[in-house]
Amino acid sequence: MSHDIGFWTLQALNALQLSMLLFLLSIGLTVIFGLMHFVNLAHGSLYALGAYFAASLAAVGGYWMGFFLAPVAVAGVGMLLYTGLIKRMRKSGPMAQVLVTFGLIFAMLDLTRIFWGDLALAIEVPALLEGRLAFLGVEYPTYRLFVIALGALILGALAFVLGRTQIGAMIRAGVDNDAMAACLGINVERLFFIVFCVGCALAGLAGAVAAPLLSVTPDMGLQILIPTLIVIVIGGLGSLKGAIAGSLIYGVVQTFGAVLAPQLASVLIYALLAAVLVIRPVGLFPAKG
Amino acid sequence: MFRHNALRYTALVLLAAGALFQALTAEYFGLEILTEILILAILVLALDIVAGFGGMVSLCHGALMGVGAYAYALLSTKAGIAPPVAMAGAIALTGAIAWGIGAICSRSHGIYFIMATLAFGQMGYSYVFEAPIFGGDDGLGGIARLDLGLIGVDLNDSRSFALFCLAVLGAAYGAAVLILRSGLGRSLSGVMHNEQRMRALGLTVWRVKADVFGLSGMIAGVAGALAAQHVMYISPGLLSWTVSGEALVVVILGGLGTLVGPLIGAAAFVLLKHELSAITTYWHLVVGVLLIAVVMSRANGIFGWIEARWGARMERRIADAARKHQPEEVASDA
Repeated sequence: MSHDIGFWTLQALNALQLSMLLFLLSIGLTVIFGLMHFVNLAHGSLYALGAYFAASLAAVGGYWMGFFLAPVAVAGVGMLLYTGLIKRMRKSGPMAQVLVTFGLIFAMLDLTRIFWGDLALAIEVPALLEGRLAFLGVEYPTYRLFVIALGALILGALAFVLGRTQIGAMIRAGVDNDAMAACLGINVERLFFIVFCVGCALAGLAGAVAAPLLSVTPDMGLQILIPTLIVIVIGGLGSLKGAIAGSLIYGVVQTFGAVLAPQLASVLIYALLAAVLVIRPVGLFPAKG
Repeated sequence: MFRHNALRYTALVLLAAGALFQALTAEYFGLEILTEILILAILVLALDIVAGFGGMVSLCHGALMGVGAYAYALLSTKAGIAPPVAMAGAIALTGAIAWGIGAICSRSHGIYFIMATLAFGQMGYSYVFEAPIFGGDDGLGGIARLDLGLIGVDLNDSRSFALFCLAVLGAAYGAAVLILRSGLGRSLSGVMHNEQRMRALGLTVWRVKADVFGLSGMIAGVAGALAAQHVMYISPGLLSWTVSGEALVVVILGGLGTLVGPLIGAAAFVLLKHELSAITTYWHLVVGVLLIAVVMSRANGIFGWIEARWGARMERRIADAARKHQPEEVASDA
């Protein structure tokens, strides 16, 4: 092949940027599952909601208002969902949870259509992050570099919170054995609630960040859902390590697959997922051995 | 094990009579809706076998139906094979693929099983979407219906086609009952209730799961081949995971593990969809809220709810009868 080193750097950055976006989504979903054993298929809808909130807020107060307030708004919606629905579905089997959140996808899809219409919305990239930056010998859009940096920042913050703080230790204890954690005096219910809201906020943040890269459409949540699920199943449910490993694997396979084997690119990632499930049915880095 | 009771027989007779009446009296549009219901009913029957009686909640049955549809379309148009042979080939191929998926996923449980089947379904979807032989986004057209000229039936007439689909649904229902009553079906319900115990009894668990999944896939393949013949055009959208999700919704709305319930669910779902989309474009919202309400009510769908009420009434009647009996006996003793 005649591609030079710059081309590969560019592809690596593309892969990294996709991975970071998926990481923001999958970390919330995976910790919610690990801690609460709750399967939230509507996580993708929360991401779409984040993008819509960001688009509306950006139209009023500029990009940064959307960037900071959309996650808060989505966390608010998450709070409503938690108290209204999810708290009651906690004890049900996975199928009931899948179905309720599937119904939620339907409902939220049409609600976004009612409020924002069917047409795609677009957000401008803020002036600060416009243009391109020379980086490792290639020109790369600044905004995409910002996405990578943001993902890395969130990753670092989460690794610190989960690994070094008291609340992180409580969350890890809850994932490991929630009954035992409750016996030790940890308010597991409140912990669930906090984790769920933070997960929703991160989904909203991912939506707000993705909005200028993609167009904001009602079905963007459905489109991102499958990649997110693939990430957490490959990585193993419930762990930070799994979410980051799964995101990186997905980003790399998807981006480089499209370059090296365009015919197989779309099937490749599903084949990989099937292989992982056959060899290690619980994923690469599950929270519980 | 699956058993019929008086309520199930009644529901079946009512459904069959309703479908037959509709098939003989309805106009073109009514017939199209009826055919849609019948094909969906075959698909959800296949799904109920694995999900309701084997605990294998599959999110790839829509894709299996798509495989059946594409296999039939390719075999009958591009390969030029006679439609009956093409249909048999499509069913066999879908069954084989389903068997493979069942075998690979047999080690996974709960949410992992759902995810794994979802992955396989999406794999099929992407492959069909990308590969040029399948016509990509444009789909395939010009699909012929079966030629039943031999017995004097012209399937290009929509009334004949609806009756044909009804006959196929009847056959599929019979096949499903036979599967569930066979040794394989009994092993399957054993596996659903306690997999470890069945393994300890010397059963090859993965074979049971794979075999049932394969048989269920064949029924889904039948639905696919019929769907291709019904619209005479297919597109990759048929394999999308939302189709599988909708099939699961239908099974739940009707009543999981009752075999009769999903048929009611199919009729209710298609009618609801048509009625609602005539009033509003936001019919997904109504279906979504309805689904949440049904699952949260903890009733087992429409038919499960009726059965529970009926069962409670029967028990009360038996209890009443027993109470009436007792004083008499006491009196005669005294």
